[in-house]
Amino acid sequence: MNGWILAATVELGGGGAAALWGVATGPPARRLTAQNLTTSVVCPALLLLAQGYARPAYVDLALLLALLGPVGTLVFARLLSGEQVSGPNVRGATWTAAGLDAAVVVAVCAAVGPGRSMVKLLLIGTLLIGGNIIASRALAGGFRGVGGG
Amino acid sequence: MSDAVTVVALLLVAASATAAVAQRDPARQALVLSFLGMVLAVLFTVLQAPDVGLSQLAVGSALTPLLIMLSVRKVRRRGRTKEERT
Amino acid sequence: MTRRTAPRAFLLAAGELLAWWAGLALLWLVLITTVDTLERIVGASCAAAGALAARAGRRAVTWR
Repeated sequence: MNGWILAATVELGGGGAAALWGVATGPPARRLTAQNLTTSVVCPALLLLAQGYARPAYVDLALLLALLGPVGTLVFARLLSGEQVSGPNVRGATWTAAGLDAAVVVAVCAAVGPGRSMVKLLLIGTLLIGGNIIASRALAGGFRGVGGG
Repeated sequence: MSDAVTVVALLLVAASATAAVAQRDPARQALVLSFLGMVLAVLFTVLQAPDVGLSQLAVGSALTPLLIMLSVRKVRRRGRTKEERT
Repeated sequence: MTRRTAPRAFLLAAGELLAWWAGLALLWLVLITTVDTLERIVGASCAAAGALAARAGRRAVTWR
């Protein structure tokens, strides 16, 4: 058990418990926000695990999640548009999650060193943070005209 | 000690699956279910089965919620028109 | 009239396709594990198909 896996354990335990609590209880607005933040919690855990197991191929899971997680949130935002959401904590939670993602991506990048795999990690980080921000803006109703909801 | 991450992932899977069953509203069940899908992918990764985790991510994070939400919407719409008729 | 504007439109279309192709091929090269000749060939052909699809999709969105 090295430091990367320990970090993944702590990150997954804390963030996962918080996201589960948010997604299973409370008003619909908070549930949707927590569902959006789940992607930002699980994806860095996958990156840390890939680094901890020293298997670069495991990074593909994080790439796929960074692509599909916001898509899932947009599905909910589009189909749950009857109960519209704009929680007060959305902005703070979103930026906290984006900071966590950026920190993990930078740490793994520093461990990997320059090269193609670092570009891949940076691409995953960009997709993750950009998708997170787009999804939370859609949840806050910023894209209602575009989404048609 | 090296099994700690496995234990954490297993606990999260068990807790979220229980929470998904305990919800009453199908839309809220779908929200918890998408969380369960992502955590299950982490569990598969921890158990050194990333290929299973990939397919689990592809199905669980976007496709299953989409199917459930579409059917929920269709059922609700049908119920609404039936109420208007009666 | 279409004859006269044809070279310019053709150049624009070719440039856009080339830009899409370059971007997609670069993405392919970044995402694969090992770079060898077979991967380069497959990546170039996939990027070509993707460039055609991307231009069609872009035009469909723009015309809406």
